[in-house]
Amino acid sequence: MTGLIDSLFNGLALGSVYALIALGFVTIFKASGVLSFAHGSLLLLGGYLIAVLHDELGFAGALALAVLVTAAVAGLVDRVVLQRIGADPHAAHVATIATIGIDIVLVTDLARRIGGDLLTLGDPWGDAVTDLGPATVADSRIAAITVSALAIGGAFALFRFTPWGLSLRAAAEDAEAAALMGVRLTRVRMLAWCLAGALAALAAVFLAAFPAPGLERTTGQIALKAFPAAILGGMASPVGALVGSMVIGLTEAFTAGYQSDLHVLGEGFGDVAPYAVMVLVLLVRPAGLFAAKGAARV
Amino acid sequence: MNVSHHRPRTIKIALAAAVAAVLLAGTACSSKADGDDADGGADGVKAGPGVSAGTIKLGALTDLTGPYATLGKSIVQAQQMWADEVNAQGGICDRKVQIVVKDHGYDVQKAVTAYADISSDVVALPQVIGSPVVSALLDDIQRDTMLTFPQAWAASLLGKDAVQVLGTTYDLDMIAAVDFLTRTKKVAEGDTIGHVYFEGDYGANALEGSQWAAKKAGLKVAGQKIKATDTDLSAQVSALRKAGVKAVLISAGPAQTASLAGVAASRGLTVPIVSSAPGYAPQLMKTPAAKALEAMVHVVSAAPAVSSDLPGVKKMVASYGKKYPGSPVDSGVLSGYNAAQLLGADLKKACESGSLTREAVVKAHRSQTNADTGLGTPQDFSDVSRPASRSTYVLKPDAKAVGGIVNVEEAHEAPGIEEYLSSRG
Repeated sequence: MTGLIDSLFNGLALGSVYALIALGFVTIFKASGVLSFAHGSLLLLGGYLIAVLHDELGFAGALALAVLVTAAVAGLVDRVVLQRIGADPHAAHVATIATIGIDIVLVTDLARRIGGDLLTLGDPWGDAVTDLGPATVADSRIAAITVSALAIGGAFALFRFTPWGLSLRAAAEDAEAAALMGVRLTRVRMLAWCLAGALAALAAVFLAAFPAPGLERTTGQIALKAFPAAILGGMASPVGALVGSMVIGLTEAFTAGYQSDLHVLGEGFGDVAPYAVMVLVLLVRPAGLFAAKGAARV
Repeated sequence: MNVSHHRPRTIKIALAAAVAAVLLAGTACSSKADGDDADGGADGVKAGPGVSAGTIKLGALTDLTGPYATLGKSIVQAQQMWADEVNAQGGICDRKVQIVVKDHGYDVQKAVTAYADISSDVVALPQVIGSPVVSALLDDIQRDTMLTFPQAWAASLLGKDAVQVLGTTYDLDMIAAVDFLTRTKKVAEGDTIGHVYFEGDYGANALEGSQWAAKKAGLKVAGQKIKATDTDLSAQVSALRKAGVKAVLISAGPAQTASLAGVAASRGLTVPIVSSAPGYAPQLMKTPAAKALEAMVHVVSAAPAVSSDLPGVKKMVASYGKKYPGSPVDSGVLSGYNAAQLLGADLKKACESGSLTREAVVKAHRSQTNADTGLGTPQDFSDVSRPASRSTYVLKPDAKAVGGIVNVEEAHEAPGIEEYLSSRG
């Protein structure tokens, strides 16, 4: 029973951090049609900034500045590099490839700075834990779930209730018509990248916080685990990203927690499980769980 | 018609062949030249690649920009310090020692290129970082009879004449770890112990050792395989707790050890943890898991702690601190310096026998049955199929000590090691 609750909490916490990342993927994809491979390095940038700034600014100040800077860098990457490539569907493919290059540049520089160190982010939760019935949960996990819920709620509110959100949805539906109606596509797109960057920096906090020992040069690679989450949810659906992330987080936690019972599938099945689930879902629903209805492919 | 289609291609192939031939001829010439000038020095010592009348060149294939950059830097600096010390005393065989350092950033392709680049100019490799790198180079190293000390300790690297794993292998360390747990009554017959291990040679070899020793001691092993990118071991801890483990072994990296100890402590799974030597680094003492690490973790290692009282270690730590102020003194410094000293002894012996060819260096190395650098236990290099040492220290993290670790038990051979080695043949 304890094992079950442990795994459930691990899964929810993992899922909520993946959701922050996956929501970034989806927002970018909706706004620009680009699959951003640079997300891992943006996450690492956010984490690195918090790590080097928290001594001087305190955790909250460092977090605020890191979120702003990462958002700005993401926005600039889009405005200065990717938007110049163009806006037609082919250009989106080129831009996707370009993000791989941007990722390599950013990661190489950050990895050089981080070296072999384990950086602590100075978060307020430390290694404190709370007893919830039979299970013990790290405070950083509870914070991850709470903060993710708030941030994701905020992002959804932005999509639904702000002029920018309306423009974003309109542009995603039909960019040309939206532009004719006066939607400034470049700005909508850039702001979407900014939002994704901010969410990535926030995710970095929880990927480096307590159950993990700190920020490493490889922390950004964890962002790749949010890819199957975004894809199985349907690349263009924020709700899908949320559900997908929870599915992936829980899958990972349960396969690792019950590894000994899954012996038939081989050791280390937990690493493959998210992708196995993704493939299974795509077999049944090729466009993802929450694919836009009527997405005609002619 | 066909002919006109084919002709351009034929020309292209011919051109490509010509270019390839020129390139091949070029490399053939250069390696031949290196071999030629090498025969017979003025002092009558027969020389080979990497050895001239005035210098002995050694090679280091290291990682200064990849995941093991900290380790690489420590080893490079420690070995450079050794070379400077040796040269200050007149060198080896009246020749100055020079180390050619190549950074591969843990990229096997780059490492292969780097090896090809330096292999004709050096006599031996006192440092090669990375199990995959060593595996990729094994055939070349054997063919070139290039005495190599890899910074990897998998038993699969034994049995190669030119390759020397220094100290114990991962499996022996884990047999010693199980012995430590049973001897100190931390576990009893019938108990289950966990073993968290990396995929690949390192983890597989360590698991071999723990399973053998556990069977011998009447224990059960609950294995948890992880990857280098797994730095949050919550799920693994849940599983281990479910399995009711009384102790946990870990053969992974420092980040994983920190997460394991931190999570286990926070969940009330306060069982002893014993780590393989690569699973600890002094940087961990600055993470939130430091307290848990100090309280729960022991490390089994063929090398003593850098804070050890051994005179040789003390002297080395002092000179290193003087030469590289600000650089952390970690286990890489110790193992790098130790490897360089052992190689120095081999070169001296080869020189005495009148030849510094690679073959003579390997032969001199294999004739050392009691190589003692004063930096740990003596090693026996004569049996190529057996680990050079069977004795291990038990260490314990300590934030206040140099290198963040202290000796708990002096070096000794765990019971059963001989039986294990014989059973494996």
